[in-house]
Amino acid sequence: MKVAISSNGESLESSIDPRFGRSQYYIIYNTDGDTYESISNTSRQATGGAGIQAAQDISNKGVEAVITTNIGPNAYRVLEAARIKVYSGVTGSVKNAVEDFKKGSFNTTSSPNVGEKFGMGPGNARGGKE
Amino acid sequence: MIISVASGKGGTGKTTVAVGMAQAIGFCQFLDYDVEAPNASFFLRPSIKNIEKVSIRQPYFLKDTGADFSRCADFCHYNAVAFVKGEVVFFPDLCHGCGGCVLVGPQGSVREKDVVVGTISKGTAKPGINFLMGNLIPGSLRTISIQNKMNEYINHDETVIIDSPPGTSCPMVTTVRNSDYCILVTEPTPFGLNDLEISVKVLRKLDIPFGVIINRDGIGDSCVEEFCSSKNIIILDKIPNDINIARAYSRGMTIVECQDQWKNRFLSVIKEIEKETG
Repeated sequence: MKVAISSNGESLESSIDPRFGRSQYYIIYNTDGDTYESISNTSRQATGGAGIQAAQDISNKGVEAVITTNIGPNAYRVLEAARIKVYSGVTGSVKNAVEDFKKGSFNTTSSPNVGEKFGMGPGNARGGKE
Repeated sequence: MIISVASGKGGTGKTTVAVGMAQAIGFCQFLDYDVEAPNASFFLRPSIKNIEKVSIRQPYFLKDTGADFSRCADFCHYNAVAFVKGEVVFFPDLCHGCGGCVLVGPQGSVREKDVVVGTISKGTAKPGINFLMGNLIPGSLRTISIQNKMNEYINHDETVIIDSPPGTSCPMVTTVRNSDYCILVTEPTPFGLNDLEISVKVLRKLDIPFGVIINRDGIGDSCVEEFCSSKNIIILDKIPNDINIARAYSRGMTIVECQDQWKNRFLSVIKEIEKETG
């Protein structure tokens, strides 16, 4: 089973990027065989809908679960449509998250835990819609 | 001549200046482009003769066809469409209504419908003001769609005053970009100056001539005047921080109705602008 973790870097030692949609990278970890690859988030600079695009890219990779800290409503809707389980509120290193995931210590999230545009930071979330 | 009245900071006196100027001119066209919070009608008290609905085109996806909508998702620059595991997810708030998904998507499976985003009210106000006001439906983000529609009603044969929304983002740019001159209203405080500086950058980039009216003159400090003098920006007039003007405003009276002198002062501003724009 493949699980995607939002990550600040390309290795398992990297820390989890707290913003799902605007994460730097995603580590796609395959629990069958314990292999992984990292993909760069090409939509992180999008003016809007970064999480939507990222969720779609991850779905196309055949991922079945996502581990992150904060996830917004739009990305959540796409992951839900793709029947991808979401584990939010997770912090620390990617490696620890993978270990905890394999032990089955996370509970799935049944709703987004931050609002739209959360990942854009203070002051950057306005006026970019048109 | 089309004169827009803008400001970076909100609440500096755009509407005070815009409605006062329209009354001073008497016979002109007035457009309230602050469609998210139009308020000029409180002061000009127009009689509205016609309310037109403004709609945008928005796609809808015939999901039961089982069609492949991945090209719509790939095409959409605003990420308003996602296609995952055979399911299309559409985000109307992100859609700009370009119709691209209809063109690239599976034939016949992406249709368009009209969605009302607001209204344009048209009427007349005393003494001879041709009045237009845009009004966005609460929750809608299509400010620009209404402003673009209002652009079609600008009468190029008379003096036109346009009241801009605050800020310096798309709604302000759309308002000022077609004007021959822009009046920036500011207050003489560090906060007013900060937003004035941003507005000046926008107008210089758009190459629109402009001047400044300082409102609530007497409060704050001299930072705005120093900035204008160092950047060769003309100060068209200063409105004093006068409790009588504020009282009148709170009762829906314009500055021209409150104090006679403002009719001539605004007409002098118009003369100055005509001189500036040649």
